[in-house]
Amino acid sequence: MIPGRVLDVVGTLARLGLAAVWLVSGVLKAIDPDQTYIAVRAYDVLSPTAVEVVAALLPWAEIALGGLLLVGVGTRVVAALSAGLLLVFIAGVAQAWARGLSIDCGCFGGGGLVDPGETAYVQELLRDTGFLVLAVWLIVRPRALFALDSRLVDTGRT
Amino acid sequence: MGGASRNEKKRRQEAANQRLAAAGIRPPEKSSASRMPLIVVAVVLAVVVVVGLTVLISRSSGDVVPTYTASASGAVVTAGSGPVAIDVYEDYLCPACERFEQRYGDEITTALNDGQLTVRYHSIAILDERTDPPGYSTRAANAALCSVPAGVYPTYHKKLFDSQPAEGSAGLTDDELVAFGTELGAQGDFAECVRGGASAPAIAAETEAAVSDPALQTDGNFGTPTVAIDGTKIDLSNTSWLQDAIAGQ
Repeated sequence: MIPGRVLDVVGTLARLGLAAVWLVSGVLKAIDPDQTYIAVRAYDVLSPTAVEVVAALLPWAEIALGGLLLVGVGTRVVAALSAGLLLVFIAGVAQAWARGLSIDCGCFGGGGLVDPGETAYVQELLRDTGFLVLAVWLIVRPRALFALDSRLVDTGRT
Repeated sequence: MGGASRNEKKRRQEAANQRLAAAGIRPPEKSSASRMPLIVVAVVLAVVVVVGLTVLISRSSGDVVPTYTASASGAVVTAGSGPVAIDVYEDYLCPACERFEQRYGDEITTALNDGQLTVRYHSIAILDERTDPPGYSTRAANAALCSVPAGVYPTYHKKLFDSQPAEGSAGLTDDELVAFGTELGAQGDFAECVRGGASAPAIAAETEAAVSDPALQTDGNFGTPTVAIDGTKIDLSNTSWLQDAIAGQ
């Protein structure tokens, strides 16, 4: 049996790791809104208006998820939202690959059409799957160290 | 869930609580404190949506009706007659050019209408390979050059960016390019001009000249959109570039 303390440390690393992912990817998208629009448009799924809305909201949603994970508020629900968003990303990349589009995912800034030889779908999907593992850990076991959750909810533990 | 099973569940819960109480354990209350994190998450996400949509709406441009005139020479369209002149290099398939038009189109049109600005639009076709079949950039640029003698360039130019096809698609057909012009009131032999593609060599030459001009490059690469003033590329990440140019800075 692995002691709870070790699991808490793993949970903390998962929480802070996923927080870092969202904060970095969100900030990189937020500082270049035109590039973010181009990246979202390149998936060729949404109508122009929907692309505008998604490109406008996505960077800030990512930053919000990252911030909430960083301080550890509502970790389980934020991890569930993160997993949902990651599944959407994975579906987006997979459909682009399946349809033979050659795009950069724009996961961490950049994005848009690239030359057919320059796609990196396998790496992008593996990376997103790795992030998904962090999110799933936190859904299953949100307890971690240095989390505000433990202060907001009096669990009776001391 | 039926009422019976709900009552059953409630009864079991109470029985469990009684057993816990008998053992001296007090179950944690589902107080407002346990909902606190959820409330914080909901509020933060709501703020993101409101702020994001507010920024989006404030940034989206209204429709300024162009009243300036345009003339063409080779593959360069000169718009307006203001004292400040800028050179704009655009490819009709380039998504960043569509963003540029979306962001600054109204501001440029207003300055042209008010006689503050002259814009030389250079027809660039660097993305011909990005449609299937290739060649949309050149066809669209040719159609835009046709719209100058047809008297509808200002609205046609905007229309081509508003209706920009996706990279990797077939692009707009010649019929669609003609229909847009007809819709906007194109005069003369616009349809023949679009289908004839007579400006293709001039567009190729203009593209070649722009691509090989070191003054228009960043890190040795030419890209669209590029804006130059007095032959020097300007930094479009400075969002007040146009006001600065008009103010003579």
